[in-house]
Amino acid sequence: MIESPTATAWYVYGVVAADARPPDAVRLIEHDGLAAIAREVPLAEFGEDVLPLRLNDREWLGANVLAHEDVLHAFLDTGVVPLRFGAIYRDTREVERMLEARSAFFRSALVRLRGQVELGVKAWLVTPADPPASSSPAVGGRAYLERRRDQLTAARERVERATVIVADAHRRLLEVAVDGVVNRPQPPELTGRSDEMVMNAAYLVRRGDEAVARTLARLAPSSVDEGVEFELTGPWPPYNFVPADEEASR
Amino acid sequence: MSVIEQPRLAHEVTLVELVDRVLNKGVVLTGDIMLSVAGVDLVYVGLRVLLTSVSALEEHR
Repeated sequence: MIESPTATAWYVYGVVAADARPPDAVRLIEHDGLAAIAREVPLAEFGEDVLPLRLNDREWLGANVLAHEDVLHAFLDTGVVPLRFGAIYRDTREVERMLEARSAFFRSALVRLRGQVELGVKAWLVTPADPPASSSPAVGGRAYLERRRDQLTAARERVERATVIVADAHRRLLEVAVDGVVNRPQPPELTGRSDEMVMNAAYLVRRGDEAVARTLARLAPSSVDEGVEFELTGPWPPYNFVPADEEASR
Repeated sequence: MSVIEQPRLAHEVTLVELVDRVLNKGVVLTGDIMLSVAGVDLVYVGLRVLLTSVSALEEHR
């Protein structure tokens, strides 16, 4: 379809209660007590013929993913149901129709998420420094093989101990959080770290609740001794805790 | 522009965090426009872009 260069659509970031106060960059499209956080976007960028290409443009993707997060972040205090990137509507009437069709879902999600934020917890198994270069030149092949076997055994034991540590951490964090999920660790190609990610979790907590940070601080000394380092991020909008949706589309 | 010319690893990691959430989590609504893209695994697309840029960065060192 040929779009006029000035044609626009409405990008929806999330849903809040209609009494929320939006930042300048976005507008609330209200319907019956609910409001969609929306921004008018040019079809030249967000039309379905160009969007797949844009998604593969690292600079564009970075800027728009960051904008999505920034907008939702502004609603952390009031409670927000985050949408996944890329819900785009032709006009505001379509947005209202969406709110009407999914009204029950968004109402119950807002009740569940009100005043709650997400915290990210990762754990890394820090690669130990190489043992003093095994430079006993005299040793023969057999000694080498034995040393190599010992190194592999030690590495496997480190991973096993780390697994126990993060499982224990998750159990303790669940005790102080409203909810928690464990996601698959990201591969080193993505993280850019040589250390192995051994935990990639998210916890739902009341805004301002520091129990997760305190729990991690308590676990840190003994974990570090075993090469496990925790990393706390957030607060995030509760991306990981949107309730399961009964229908995939309108 | 200079951000792209001088990528920092820490920045990449933050972007991975963002992409992991914004493209992979949250309520899935099929809007009017995304219909043709909605079936695509968005996070795969996004992370592939980041992977490319991270490996390019590594090669650059």
